[in-house]
This record gives sequence, structure tokens and C-alpha cells, in this order.
Amino acid sequence: MAKAKKVHFEEMRDFASAQTKAEPSFAEVMKLAALAAESMQSFCESMDATTYKELRDIAHYIENMKQEIGVFQVNDLKESRIPAAGQELDAIIKATEDATNTIMENAEALMAADVKDMKTYQALVNDHVMKIFEACSFQDITGQRVAKVVETLQMIEARVGRFAEAVQAKDVQGFLDEREAARAKRAEKLLLNGPQLAGKGVDQKKVDDMFSDD
Amino acid sequence: MSVDHTMPILVVDDYKTMIRIIRNLLKQIGFDDVDEAADGSEALGKMREKKYGLVISDWNMEPMTGYELLKEVRADEKLSRTPFIMVTAESKTENVIAAKKAGVNNYIVKPFNAQTLKSKIDAVFGD
Repeated sequence: MAKAKKVHFEEMRDFASAQTKAEPSFAEVMKLAALAAESMQSFCESMDATTYKELRDIAHYIENMKQEIGVFQVNDLKESRIPAAGQELDAIIKATEDATNTIMENAEALMAADVKDMKTYQALVNDHVMKIFEACSFQDITGQRVAKVVETLQMIEARVGRFAEAVQAKDVQGFLDEREAARAKRAEKLLLNGPQLAGKGVDQKKVDDMFSDD
Repeated sequence: MSVDHTMPILVVDDYKTMIRIIRNLLKQIGFDDVDEAADGSEALGKMREKKYGLVISDWNMEPMTGYELLKEVRADEKLSRTPFIMVTAESKTENVIAAKKAGVNNYIVKPFNAQTLKSKIDAVFGD
């Protein structure tokens, strides 16, 4: 492209240099215009090819993205799997809360029981202990619910990973919206770190050591 | 200073089950006068209405956290001397340091047992 342009500009320069008259004739103007048009045509042709290639690359990229987004199954995740996982987690919270309350009610009843009549007391203990055993069955069901949530998370992780690789994603600093930013700011300011995994946080002994330093 | 088992205790936690657990544990170790609040602001209101011998508070609550409650209590001339124990799942070193700096009397990491609760109450009252 650069070579073609140079040739045309040189021709235009030579033509202009050869002109000695103050007022160019119509024929000279037309000649100059023809040279300029020729120059622009060459430039545009060259640009068209480049633009076409770029547009074709973009179209190819968009087509790939459409395929990757399709593989992501966004609608399935958004409308089915993520809400289902949320419902499972709600059910886990409810089940653990119900079980804890049942266990505590029965334990409280045992603590308050009258021990004067041993036969009645024994029957009462058996009854409440049986209810505590029954309440503990929540663990099996919640375990299965947790497994379903983990499966959904693994599915999301795999798809996000593939998508990130396909688009060669780079993380952008910041937050999705103001609400997310406000929550993060509050958590940072008020040190809301949440429970730590085993070995990550300090245990009671370490806390006690920190308080005995005084 | 020995522990007065008749003193009113304020338990602050947004999780009703945890309040129930702490209430039962306190009962087991001899404390019957227990009030409850679901967050720091409710606790602060109750503390301004009634004099408590001890506050046992969770950290992570909304709208006012236990950490904010602690700082409010320590900044309030009338409440500043109230013994304050943090009972929380927040177990990062920075949390313990911040609470200590803010004037907490003791710190219990969840989950905990009756013996730990008793020993920290005893420690606060110098027993």
C-alpha cells in the first residue's frame, strides 16, 4: 500500500512542479484530480482488504463466542441449576435448624425432668433420646443436598474455566454494582472475614495466648 | 472481683439457636438472668435501659456488628466499664487483635463448650 501511494504522490509532485503558470488550466486541474483519485483508489483498495480481514476475524471471533456461550448453557444455569442450588441450601439451613431445635427441646426436657419417680423418668429419657436420634437423621439428607450443590458448583467452575480460556479473559478490578462494592467495603471495614478453614484461623489456645500477653 | 451469679447477662446473636445454646450453657454454669438481642443496635438500646453485669456478643450481625457494639460501649461513659466477651466464628488474628484493641475482655472462638465459656467468664471477673 505504501509503495503505491508513494508512486502516485511522486507523480502528483512532478506534475505540480512542471506547472509554471499562475492559473492552472481546466485540463491541468482534471489531470491533478485524476492522479489524486488514482492515489485514493489504491489506498481504499488496500484499506478494504485490511478491513475485510479484520471484520472477518471479528465475525469468526463472535461466532466462536456464540458457540462458547452456548456451551456455557447460561439459561440452564440461570433459570434452573443456580435457583435449584439456592433451594437446596435453604433446605439445608432449615433442616439443620429444625434438627438443632428438636435436639435442644428434648435435651431441655431431660434437664428439667423430675427424677423422683425412676420408672417415669426412665420412660421419659427413652422417649426424648429416641427423638434426638431421629432428629440426627437430618445429616444424611443434608449430605445428599450438599452433594447436589457441590455438583452445580463444579459444573459452573468447569464452564467458567472453559469460557475464560476461550475469551482469554483478564480480570478487571472493581465491583459488579454499588451493592457489591458497599458489601465489600463494609466487610473490610468491620473485619467480617467469616469462619476460617481448619488451620487457617487462630484456635482458642492461640487466642488465650494473645490475651495472656497482658 | 468474684463472679456474681445473679448478675443480668445480655447475649447478642442474630442466630436464635446460638442464643438458645448460650442461654442453656449459662444456665448449666449457674447464670439464670439472661436477656437477648439480635444485633448490636438492639443490644445498645437494652444496655441503655438496664444495667448488665456482662455482655456476650457475636461479631457478624446486621445492621450493627458486635465489633461496632463493643466500640460504642467503650465510648459510652455510662457503659464503658461493662465486661464484654466476644463469642464468634471470626478467627483471624486481625479480628482478635482488633477486638482486644477495642477493649474486649475476652474472646471465644466458635464452636465452644460450657467449660470454655465458664473459664472465660471466670477470667473476666478475676476468679
